[in-house]
Amino acid sequence: MRSLLTGNEAVAEGALAAGCNFYAGYPITPSSEIMHIMAERLPRRGGVFYQAEDEIAAINAIIGASWAGAKAMTATSGPGFSLMQEGIGYAVMTETPLVIVDVMRAGPATGQATKPAQGDVMQARWGRHGDQVVPVLAPSTPQECFDMTVRAFAIAEELRTPVIVLSDEFIGHGREVVEIPGRVEVPSRRRPRGRGEPPFDSPDPRVAPPMPPLGEGYYVLVTGSTHDAYGYRDTRGFETHYRLVRRLWDKIWLNMDKLFDYEERNAEEADVGFVAFGSTARSVVKAVEILEARGVRAGYVRLKTLWPLDLRPIRRLAEAARAIIVPELGMGQLILDVERAVRGETRVVGYNKVGGGEPIYPSELARFALEVLGRA
Amino acid sequence: MGERSILIAGIGGQGVVFAATALAKALFLQGLYVAQLQSYGAEVRGGAVLAWVVYSEERVSCPFTDEYDLALILHQAGLEEAARKNLAWRRAVVDSDLVGAEVPGDVDVYPVHRMAVEAGLEGRENIVMLGVAAGLGYVDLSHLERALASSRGSEENLRALRLGVELAARQK
Amino acid sequence: MPSAEHFALKYLRREALPTAFCPGCFNGIVINALAKAFEEEGVEDLRNYVFVSGIGCAAWIPSPFMKVDSLHTLHGRAIPVAVGVKLANPGLDVVVVSGDGDLGSIGLGHLVHAARRNMDLAVIMVNNLVYGMTRGQQSPTTPPGLWTTTTPYGSYEYPMDVCRLLAETSANYVARWTPAHFNRLKESIKHMLFRRRRGFRFLEVVAPCTTYVSRRRGLRPGEALKELLRKSVRLEKPGKPGSGGPGERIVVGVFKDEDKPGYLDLYYSYVERARRGGTHG
Repeated sequence: MRSLLTGNEAVAEGALAAGCNFYAGYPITPSSEIMHIMAERLPRRGGVFYQAEDEIAAINAIIGASWAGAKAMTATSGPGFSLMQEGIGYAVMTETPLVIVDVMRAGPATGQATKPAQGDVMQARWGRHGDQVVPVLAPSTPQECFDMTVRAFAIAEELRTPVIVLSDEFIGHGREVVEIPGRVEVPSRRRPRGRGEPPFDSPDPRVAPPMPPLGEGYYVLVTGSTHDAYGYRDTRGFETHYRLVRRLWDKIWLNMDKLFDYEERNAEEADVGFVAFGSTARSVVKAVEILEARGVRAGYVRLKTLWPLDLRPIRRLAEAARAIIVPELGMGQLILDVERAVRGETRVVGYNKVGGGEPIYPSELARFALEVLGRA
Repeated sequence: MGERSILIAGIGGQGVVFAATALAKALFLQGLYVAQLQSYGAEVRGGAVLAWVVYSEERVSCPFTDEYDLALILHQAGLEEAARKNLAWRRAVVDSDLVGAEVPGDVDVYPVHRMAVEAGLEGRENIVMLGVAAGLGYVDLSHLERALASSRGSEENLRALRLGVELAARQK
Repeated sequence: MPSAEHFALKYLRREALPTAFCPGCFNGIVINALAKAFEEEGVEDLRNYVFVSGIGCAAWIPSPFMKVDSLHTLHGRAIPVAVGVKLANPGLDVVVVSGDGDLGSIGLGHLVHAARRNMDLAVIMVNNLVYGMTRGQQSPTTPPGLWTTTTPYGSYEYPMDVCRLLAETSANYVARWTPAHFNRLKESIKHMLFRRRRGFRFLEVVAPCTTYVSRRRGLRPGEALKELLRKSVRLEKPGKPGSGGPGERIVVGVFKDEDKPGYLDLYYSYVERARRGGTHG
C-alpha cells in the first residue's frame, strides 16, 4: 500500500508492522507524533501505551516490558535522548532488545526544539559510560523510517541489543510517499532450550544467548553489574568482566556484514566525494547530479548504518578522490570517523551549518565542491 | 517532467502548512511522488512560515531546493523570510493585499485577501492560492478537490479553489 | 515429620548463600518476614513473582539471594522497570524491594508517580537511614544529628517521611514497621501480596544500618532492635514518646488501606473505550 506519510508517522507504522506491542515515552518535540500515533493505535490492538513521568522512566519501563516478553520501543529527541543514555547502557549490559528512536533537533540543551540537526551522532555512539556499542540506523526518507524501524526490531530481537534509529526533524516532519508492504516478518528472540542453557553467555560471540521469559521458573537473574553466564554478579574478577564485555562488543562488531548498510555512487572514480547520512544525504545526491551536469566527476557514500561503521567504503571513495566533503547539520561529528578512515591520505573538509531549520541546499554544496576542487 | 517545486510563504495562522499538505496530497493522488516540508517556529504564533512541495514522476531525490518553479506568497513576512534565505522562483503569485514589497521574477499579483472577503471566504486565502496554482497548470483541480474533500469547511474550500482558478484564468 | 531443612530455603538460591550482608544486618529479618509470609500463604515456589530492585544493600535482598525472577536495575530505576514488567505481563506478581536512597532520593519521582497512578505493584522500602553500600553517607531519611560520612559534624537536614508523602497520593496501601515488629511486618507483607492484590502497596521497614548507624552509635544489633521498639509509637496514638522528630520517634502502623481500582483496572476500561471507538470524553 502506498501512503503519504511523515517520517514520524512512518516510524510508528514500521513499529506496528514489526509487532511492537509496548511503547513508553515522554512528550518531546520533534518526536511526539510517534507517541501520539502509538497512543491511539496500541490500546486498540492489545498493546500497551504508557506515558512515563520522564524519559528515564520511559527507557526503564521498556526494559522491564522487554524482559516480560514485549517488543518494546520509545521515541525521543536530544534532551530526552541524553536522559535515556544510562538506561541504554543497562540494556546493553543485560542484553535487552529495545528500539529507541531519536529525532534529532538543534542543541545543546533546549537549543531549538523545532529545528533539525545532526548533532547526536557521537552521543548515539558514545553516550553511555563504559565499553559498549549499539547498532545505529540512519534513515534519509520516510520510506527508510518505516523500513529501518522494522529492521531495528529484527536486529534487537536477534542480537538481544538495544538499537537506535537516528532520524531528524526534517525527516520526521517531512511528508513523502511510503510503500508499506502487506506483511512484515520480524523474528522473535530465542528462548533457552532448557533450564541449563545460560542466558548470559554464548559459545559463538556473533550469536546472542537465549532470553528466558519471566514467570516460567527459569529464575533468571538480570543485573547491570558484571555477571557470569547465569547472571550472578561478579564485581571483582578480571576474567568475568573481560569475558562479558568482550562478548558484548564482539556481538555487534563481528556482525558487521549483517548490520552495516550503505549506498554509493561513482565511489571509485569520483574527483570529489561526499560522505553523508540522514537528511543531509538527500542534498548530496542532488549536488552530485548538479556537479555531473557541469562535467565534474563526483560521487558519494551514504551511510545507512552509522554503527557498527565499516570504514572500507569511505576508504575506497578516498582512494580515487582529490577531496572528501562531509556535510553535516552541526559542527562536524561524522567527519571524525571519515578522517579516521582516510588517514590523512586525502583532504577531508566539513561543510557545517545548523540552526533555524536551514537545510544544506544542493546548490551550495555543489558550489562548495567546486571551490574545494579549485575551480570556483 | 523532472522534479518540480512549489513554495508557499506566509505567516502563522494563514494555513500555509495546511495548504502545502493538501497540495502534496493532491499531487500524490495524481500518482506522483512528492516531498513536502515546512520551516516555522511551532512555539511562536504569528511568525513567518514557509512550506514547500517537490514532486516528480520518480522518487524525489532531494526535498530541499532554493529555486522553485512557483511561489505562492500570502504575506509580507513570508516573502521577507524567503528573501533572507535567498530563495528564488521562476514564477510567483502574490497577494497584493498582504504583501507590500516588490516581488522579483515573473509575478502575478491579485488582491486575494479582498476577493476572499468579498466572496465570504476570509481566512481561506491559502486555498484560493492553491486554486491559482491549479489554474496555472501546476496541479490538477480535481485532485485538489479530492484532497480537500474531507477537510473542515470543505464546501468553502471548494469555492475558494474555484475562485483561485478564475483568477488564474483572468491572468492568462 | 519435621523437615531437616530450614523452611526458607525453598525460596532462596542455595548457591548464593551465605548472604553478603554484615553480621547483624536487619535485611535478614526482612528476608525472613518475606519467607514466612510466603510459607504461611502456602506458596510452593516464587515462579509467578518478579522481584525488581535498584542499587544498594536492600536491593540485594532479592538479587541474588531469592530464588525468583529478579531484575537488579540501575540506581533509582526499580519502579519504572517494575512498571514495564507489570504492564507487559499483568499476570506476574511484581514486587519492588529497595532502599531509602534508591527509592526515596534518586528514584523518588518514579515512586511518587507510581503511587499517584495506584500502579499495581507491591513496594518494600528498607530504610536503613544511610547509604550503607557506599560507606554510610547521609540519605533523605537520615535523622538530624546523625554522624555520616557526608555529615561528619552531624546531619542538619530535614529528613523525609516517605509514608506520609505517599499516603497523600492515590496509593492503596501504605504502612511502616520495623524489624522489631516482626509479626506486624510479616502480616503487612501478607496483606500487600495476598489480600490487596491491586493498586500501589507500600511498606517501609525502618531498619537502621548495623554498620554505619548502630555500631557508630555504640549499639549492638540486639540493642538497636530494642531501641527501635522503644522509639516506635503507633500511628493511632501519636505524640507519645519524644516528639522531637523522626530521630526520636518512629511512627509505625498502617497509614492507609484501601482497595480502589488499580492502574490496570483503569487502563482496561480505557482500552474498552478505545475499542468501542470512543475518543474524546
